[in-house]
Amino acid sequence: MSTVTPDPLAPAPIDRQGIRLGDVLFKGIAFVAAVGVAAVLGLLTYEVFSLAWPAIQEFGLSFIWTQGWNPNSNVYGALVFIYGTIVTSFIALLLATPLSIAIALFLTEIAPGRVAAPIATMVELLAAIPSVVLGLWGILVFGPWVANHLEPWLQSWFGFLPIFSGDPSQAGILPAALVLTIMIIPITSAICRELFSRVPRDLSDGSLALGSTRWEAIRRVAIPYAAPGISAAVLLGLGRAFGEAIAVTQVIGSGNTINESLFPPGDTLGSRIASSYIGASTAIEAQSLLYLAAILLVISLITNVSAQAIVNRFQKARRMSTG
Amino acid sequence: MKRALGLMVTVASLVAVASVVGAATAAPAKKQDTSLSGAGSSFVFPLISKWIPALGSAYGYNVSYSPIGSGGGIAAITAKTVDFGATDAPLTKDQFAACKGCVEVPWALSATAMMYNLPGVNCVLRLNGKQLADIYLGNLTKWNDPRIADNNGKCNLPDTKITAVYRSDNSGTTYNFTEYLAAVSPTWKSKLGVGVNAQWPAGLGARGSSGVAGVITKTPGAIGYADVAYALKNKIRFASVLNASGRYATPGLRGINAAAATLPARITSEDGALSIVNPPKGNPLAYPISTFTYVVVSSGSSKAAELRKMVYWAVTQGQKFGPALLFQPLPKQVQAFAYKQIKRI
Repeated sequence: MSTVTPDPLAPAPIDRQGIRLGDVLFKGIAFVAAVGVAAVLGLLTYEVFSLAWPAIQEFGLSFIWTQGWNPNSNVYGALVFIYGTIVTSFIALLLATPLSIAIALFLTEIAPGRVAAPIATMVELLAAIPSVVLGLWGILVFGPWVANHLEPWLQSWFGFLPIFSGDPSQAGILPAALVLTIMIIPITSAICRELFSRVPRDLSDGSLALGSTRWEAIRRVAIPYAAPGISAAVLLGLGRAFGEAIAVTQVIGSGNTINESLFPPGDTLGSRIASSYIGASTAIEAQSLLYLAAILLVISLITNVSAQAIVNRFQKARRMSTG
Repeated sequence: MKRALGLMVTVASLVAVASVVGAATAAPAKKQDTSLSGAGSSFVFPLISKWIPALGSAYGYNVSYSPIGSGGGIAAITAKTVDFGATDAPLTKDQFAACKGCVEVPWALSATAMMYNLPGVNCVLRLNGKQLADIYLGNLTKWNDPRIADNNGKCNLPDTKITAVYRSDNSGTTYNFTEYLAAVSPTWKSKLGVGVNAQWPAGLGARGSSGVAGVITKTPGAIGYADVAYALKNKIRFASVLNASGRYATPGLRGINAAAATLPARITSEDGALSIVNPPKGNPLAYPISTFTYVVVSSGSSKAAELRKMVYWAVTQGQKFGPALLFQPLPKQVQAFAYKQIKRI
């Protein structure tokens, strides 16, 4: 920089001092922001584990596969909540993924612009509903509907499956999973829409020119092109589903048992922490709840890391196949 | 942990306090130089809302209160982010140990109502302790089970599934209810115990009294519990419950008063907690799921003198606001006990 000699033809002289100061400031702020966020993650993990430490020492790893949570006799185990978290989140994912892809494809490939724009906005607005409001709607409207209509219907057709056996209930694993589905659809469908709109026009045009139908073009060109992004979107949705506490607390019914049926109440890690931390009656109960928080943290971190790993693998595969 | 809790509670309080303070400053007050902040039980909130303007005109205190729940109140006074906490469940040993220098004073008296939703049943449901325990243990699942139908002869109970509803969050009302169940059912006592929450083996959980009421009103066949003022205000029917004298009692003022009357003339309690669930024979009116609710104050507070005055006022003059809200004024011997506790502040 310092070797540059002033050029008479160059535009008006620039205040290099100012630029350098700006550069330094910008670098500094960016560095602090980046390191700060990383440090917050590290500190937070450390704090959660250190606060949970007495419970970790007391119960050991068997806490993870112990069933039962009785604060009045100091019996604590996480299995019911781990089960509830994983089952509700995976059902939500199972339903939300195809729906999100379908919504995204409809908006980018099928619907004319003046239909697509308002629908896209509406779907995204779904993400703006506060989860506590969604939970209230779950208690008052959706839960009773599930118990009176959806669950009896499922039972009449698929009652032979143990997951649809037993009495319908307005609060339980199934309503919680469905509320989670509603919560993650806006996230995954918005990302999928973005991905499909970035599929190069010439690729799909080329496919259509070679005689493939619209569906074939979507299946053979658009979906494979967007696949790494879709899997990342799905895992982002999964992260959201794992961590959601308030809406789930309101509709899951805070049960204490693992049932083969999806109808009865259960509980998730996040929901149990949200409902029991304030006013925990003993120190060991509070520490056990923090142990649950530590487990949730680890599950979420693993999900996010594997999301990145999957995206990387896909990208490597694509680079190799395109040259 | 304390700091984190404190922060959480402070944020929660700030939001809630804003509205209460707004209401309080509108009251006629002479000089508002002392401000006392409190948080906790939502059960006692209607009563405290009446006390706030009265305390303002009597002493010039500017009292604010946020009804964030008993658990939140205990957390707030433990972290000393408020001047007083209110709780329906007495502090546990661990909570006392964490809450340095805390004194617990009974300052209001009411009851827990068993609300139910049985469309088409027009008589008042009658239940006894064993039936309630069996319902919540999952052993009684149909309303027309002979074990319930027997003492509800005229009611003609339907063939509906019983949905037992409980509080999913920690609650003083749950404490009162489980304390009662443990008193009437040895199985409950040994398997589930007494506390602000339990390992509910059956039924479904809902958040807050409003959540419980929400599930009950939407589910035919549901039964659940909340403070009687809440049940009345929301026009949800509630059952009469069998007491030790063999009579079915309702959670009205007379029933609550009769339950409290069973306390001995001289009350001794180390930590300030009093229990009046399932009172002994001899009080045919006594409602068996009655409870005191408490204020928790730190004796080391810089406002100890003002707090002493406030609590004293609450357990004496403040009691006259109770009956309209279904809080039975404290009996004499409880007042005497409260004075003793107040002296320790």
